[in-house]
Amino acid sequence: MNSGFRSMHPAVALLYYAGLLLFALLGLHPLFLVTEIAGLLALLLLQGQGKALLRGLPFMLLMGGSVAVLNPLFSHRGAHILFYWLDQPITLEAVLYGLIMMTVLLTIFIWFISYNYTVTTDKFMYLFAAAAPRTALLTLMALRFVPLFQRRLRQITLIQRLRGVDVRTGSLRKRMQDGMTLLKVLLTWSLEEALQTGDSMTARGYGVAKRSTYSIYKPDRQDKLILLVLTLSGMIALFFWLQGYGTLEIYPRMKSMDFGWQDAVMYGSFCLFVLLPAGLEGKEKWLWRSSKRNKYPSAILKKTGTRSMSSRSQ
Amino acid sequence: MVRFRAPLLIALGLFVAGLALTAALKDRHYVLLSLVLLLAALLPLFLRLERRQLASRELVLLAVLSAIAAVSRIPFAALPGVKPVSAVVILSAYVFGAEAGFVIGAVAALVSNIYFGQGPWTPWQMFAWGMTGLTAGWLRNTWWMKKRPGLLIFGFIWGFLFGWIMNLWVILSLPDAFSWGLVAATYGASFYFDLAHALSNVFFLAILAGGWTKVLKRFRKKYGLLQE
Repeated sequence: MNSGFRSMHPAVALLYYAGLLLFALLGLHPLFLVTEIAGLLALLLLQGQGKALLRGLPFMLLMGGSVAVLNPLFSHRGAHILFYWLDQPITLEAVLYGLIMMTVLLTIFIWFISYNYTVTTDKFMYLFAAAAPRTALLTLMALRFVPLFQRRLRQITLIQRLRGVDVRTGSLRKRMQDGMTLLKVLLTWSLEEALQTGDSMTARGYGVAKRSTYSIYKPDRQDKLILLVLTLSGMIALFFWLQGYGTLEIYPRMKSMDFGWQDAVMYGSFCLFVLLPAGLEGKEKWLWRSSKRNKYPSAILKKTGTRSMSSRSQ
Repeated sequence: MVRFRAPLLIALGLFVAGLALTAALKDRHYVLLSLVLLLAALLPLFLRLERRQLASRELVLLAVLSAIAAVSRIPFAALPGVKPVSAVVILSAYVFGAEAGFVIGAVAALVSNIYFGQGPWTPWQMFAWGMTGLTAGWLRNTWWMKKRPGLLIFGFIWGFLFGWIMNLWVILSLPDAFSWGLVAATYGASFYFDLAHALSNVFFLAILAGGWTKVLKRFRKKYGLLQE
């Protein structure tokens, strides 16, 4: 479904995700990282992407966990020694640093899941088509060719099987040769046809003048407002970060963080930045639900719960 | 808005680069800086693609080869380390030169990851496969690359180099643990995957080299594509 944060102007989404990636990589206090994860998770769950999240979870934990384990094993800086392992001191600081790095990695992985769902390829291309038209066109064409070539390869396999060219039967040597034949047919066919496409592009005047780009997205008032709020809150958080607030000093000796008003302001604007899309999504969901319940009462009596147009009655 | 997009992007890039430098110098967080440097390394080659004289035929050819490289990854998705992309990129660069090889490698990484899932590895893969193509294009006129064993050894070496480049971002995320021990542990852990990649490169190059170079060279000659 294209609603809520996903239906906003691509620039808003891009600014949000660029800001999040920046904040994740700047080495902020773990509190900020956890807030960021919470914001992303809230957005993903509200968008109904729990399944995609679960699918990626084992890999994320494996990568993050290995970083968390590797750091104390190889870094021995820090004042508080917990215990000795193979004559090497394991320090509290190194363990904490490993855990923070694990959080950073987890943030990035979840960031990518959310990014993949919200900033679809067409939005990304829309934003970069003006800056790098040729690269954008090249990528889009390659993207379109992938399913086409898969389909073609299936056709080739079916047809060549009639001639006895089959990767499923025969000796290993014959199978390899047959596989190569199939790929060669795909290559030749695709190249021949693609060059015709190229000629057709030339005939229609591709490359004669500078390309204009069709913009399908028009920013409305809400888009502009959100863009402004995101920019301001992000800038405030960055400003305080440059002043040295909002970080946790671990090496050489862990310091307890004193949470002054500067940190509070920074955290507040950071929260505004991170949680705004989740809030928008939630607001949309809530409006939708309440409008279904109250504003447009149906003449037909329903047995249970709410239903949307697309769900079929049993 | 549309007109100001390029300067806007440049300003944003410089801003992020500044932040990355600050993070690296102040707190020794190198991940952001590494990403910025990586993109800076990719930028000139993509700029060259934007600026150079290129017929639509050649553009479409690059798209087809990138897409074939990306498609070739799909049947082997279940086998970790086995990536025919490298072989396709090397052969394309072998015929069409360094710049084309770079573009095909980088775009193939980007496009195949749209199907496999983007992640922090995407820019690194774009870089690694781009460099595979670039070096294959540079070395294609040496006497040993023209011989079959030389080409196979080149593919074998890049199987390992690819894995080593991909290991970098794990090491970069742990600046304080940096030691030869950590390097050895990470590179040891990836050894079998790298070996699988290297051997599969040799395998695919051995199968494809004769037929594909012939087809590609024929196309290059027939249509006058990407001639220097």
